[in-house]
Amino acid sequence: MELGEEELTSSVKRYYKESLKHSLGQCDFNFVLSDPRLPDNPIVYASEGFCSMSGYEHHEVIGRNCRFLQGPDTDRRTVLEIRDAVREERPCQVHILNYTKHGNPFWNLFYMAPVYSRKDGTVVHFVGVQTPFSAAATAAAAPLASKKLNLMDAEKRKEARSECLQQIQGEAPMRVWFALNEIQGCVCFVEADEQEDNHKCVAKDEDKGRAACAVQTILCNLMENSRIGGGGRGVAETRCKEIAESAVGGVVCSSLMLSLTRIQQSFVLADPKLPDIPIVHASKVFCEITGYSQEEVIGRNCRFLQGPDTDPEAIRKSIAGEHACTVRILNYRKDKTSFWNHLHLSPVRSATGEVAFYVGVQLAMDIVDSAGDENVGMTPYMKQLGAVGAVKVAVRSLQGSGLRRSFKKNSEE
Amino acid sequence: MLTIKRVATLVSFNQELEQATGCGRDCLGSCCMPGAKLPLYTFRRQQIANGKNNAYSNGDSHKAANGDTALHNYELHELSQGFVENSEAANGFLDSLLLAQWEDRMERGLFRYDVTACETMVLPGEHGFIAQLNEGRHSKKRPTEFRVDQVLQPYDGKKFNFTKVGQEEVLFCFEESEDGTNQYYEKAPVSESPNVIAINVSPIEYGHVLLVPRVLNCTPQRIDPDTFLLALHMAAEADNPYFRLGYNSLGAFATINHLHFQAYYLTAPFPVERAPTTPICHHCKKGGIKILELGNFPVQGLVFEIGDNLEDLANAVANACIYLQNANIPFNVLIADRGGRVFIFPQCFGEKQARGEVDQEILDTQVNPAVWEISGHIVLKRRCDYDTATEESAWRLLAEVSLTQERFNEVKKHCLTAVFEGPNKAMSMSTIASNLHPMEMNAAVLNGQAEHCLLLQA
Repeated sequence: MELGEEELTSSVKRYYKESLKHSLGQCDFNFVLSDPRLPDNPIVYASEGFCSMSGYEHHEVIGRNCRFLQGPDTDRRTVLEIRDAVREERPCQVHILNYTKHGNPFWNLFYMAPVYSRKDGTVVHFVGVQTPFSAAATAAAAPLASKKLNLMDAEKRKEARSECLQQIQGEAPMRVWFALNEIQGCVCFVEADEQEDNHKCVAKDEDKGRAACAVQTILCNLMENSRIGGGGRGVAETRCKEIAESAVGGVVCSSLMLSLTRIQQSFVLADPKLPDIPIVHASKVFCEITGYSQEEVIGRNCRFLQGPDTDPEAIRKSIAGEHACTVRILNYRKDKTSFWNHLHLSPVRSATGEVAFYVGVQLAMDIVDSAGDENVGMTPYMKQLGAVGAVKVAVRSLQGSGLRRSFKKNSEE
Repeated sequence: MLTIKRVATLVSFNQELEQATGCGRDCLGSCCMPGAKLPLYTFRRQQIANGKNNAYSNGDSHKAANGDTALHNYELHELSQGFVENSEAANGFLDSLLLAQWEDRMERGLFRYDVTACETMVLPGEHGFIAQLNEGRHSKKRPTEFRVDQVLQPYDGKKFNFTKVGQEEVLFCFEESEDGTNQYYEKAPVSESPNVIAINVSPIEYGHVLLVPRVLNCTPQRIDPDTFLLALHMAAEADNPYFRLGYNSLGAFATINHLHFQAYYLTAPFPVERAPTTPICHHCKKGGIKILELGNFPVQGLVFEIGDNLEDLANAVANACIYLQNANIPFNVLIADRGGRVFIFPQCFGEKQARGEVDQEILDTQVNPAVWEISGHIVLKRRCDYDTATEESAWRLLAEVSLTQERFNEVKKHCLTAVFEGPNKAMSMSTIASNLHPMEMNAAVLNGQAEHCLLLQA
């Protein structure tokens, strides 16, 4: 899914004044801003420092998800931690092994913090600050240079093994593992760190302090330079409304949005608890098919697609009965041209078990009729159902409080 | 002989029907399958980009929503760097297909209830245990007796097995492609013994399916490297960190003795996936797989993490499981993180229950701690249990499942020997080792052929 340059730049323009560029340019931290309301949470701003740290050019970075910094030895559980912070819409601080463009690994103290809208409490951007560090003096954390001994001799190998055993027997907290590479005949010692529950480097306190300070500075910059007026009220570093509260008002939270933008079909979500069941989300493909923009569609009931020759009875019945239905309905685009819409409607429930939305997946019949071999690949009808399934999976866990943890989250580790 | 009584969950509608010979019912048996046509998804074995590096999932596998496999510049770049994590901006092919087919069966009324109408929540606390109130899952059938002290049991065609499943409950067959494409065919002639993906009519979550490798082979419930690799391929192909596969051995709450895995979607981490891990071993010869131990979790377990290919991971896990099977230790396996992380939990709850050693309070909840429960997703039958569930009560339940620290340490050593030297070696060592001090045990391993990687513990 290619992102237009316009979308990426407008992500920043929409919330901040021009002065932000200058302000952020003064900070010499390595950081990025990403937008979770765009597909795959892409980087929309990257500092000079980030580019020189990572070895990438500016244009190689904008529009991509920050995971390109990860590599083969990056701890998978740490990646889960970051992914879950995005899902729970909260800050996180992790020690993660990253890689430069040229494949050089480096330890990165990665601090991530959400930037919330003052208007509706949703996450507008994530700030990600990277602080490369070397191991703290207390923990013998970095891998030692491998001792390449020429040990073709079996006796010498046996000696090396027992030497190693003796070494570790004396040192209780140290965990040592080594690999004996028969082919090269060498013994490599890799010393692990002492920490009970991680096998990665630990940053010094001064690095942690620097990182925390960087995050604060950037957040302050964002707040000071945020746009107010025209419906916006600026941004904040803390939520003004809990996710569940915003959801009641028909706002789609950023983590749900991130799942919805993965669905490559035309669909809308409508909220039956609000007056006149307005649309709360419309997919990009919907906008392409109908010719309307998202702003023109959100908040309106779907009937604006109907025209003089449409019969909406089946839709009404489906909503009344809380069951799925498929109707063939005549719809009209913004330019007044009509198309037969094979519309599939289904109720979608949240974690409470109650209906949170109705999803309507549109299929323009002229597209269907020109489809190829019916036996190969998914039919357009199947793709419609696939969209319904994907929406149901996302909404169940991500709508309202969903399946997010409920304890008070600290910003300190 | 140790047994417990429990009500088997209904996973297929034909489970309730009387056994009949020659069914005339479009099942998956040799009566109906020859000449049958079922939907088919073919997957392509992933390429290894750079030999050394982690490329079990490459950049283009799931642009195939419309068969497009072109690589964009930045993906080529990532591949040459050697590592690609694949949650791109769009749902993958297998993902979309599975969800579409499941939703189709939903709308055709093939499930006993709507699982999305079941309340679910995360229990307050840092671990994030997930509880669900599901009153409909419980079947009204009489409880039957299950042996808990025999992990390997011979296949019995007279008992319910997956050849009796109706073809409409099959979503599609899942086979490796012969021509290197991944593609979907609405109707394809079935192979001699296809791998089928069927719905579980009593789902725990949306998308709950059963993967039955080589259905007509009538293999009993046990792990082997080839079928385990298939399960890993499914996880990798779905390419979704919120789609996991699970396996229960007999004695660890599997009720159907016909080889199968389960899978479903849940857009939240399982507590076990969040748990910290300590590395034990790094197997640099065998494709660089890592073996770690779980910490800060009520159930002791081993974690295997992928190196640069799925085959080595499958072999390592299978060897450990084969040891457990031969040593008659019931266990559960969770495949997570797109097939990149595999958790093995040896367990003893069944045995404790049979001996009457489990708290009645816990037994009253009727929760059978199988792989999903151990991972931290707990389905409760009674409203009272759901309303009073806490992180502490979940922990207490799961703590009963775990082996003791000492027993687990023993089992761990033998599993590692099995991984590096084969399960037979592990079996023979475990009979000698019961008399050896742990450090002597290491010396015994050292003097053996442990040339690839060694387990050393202070």
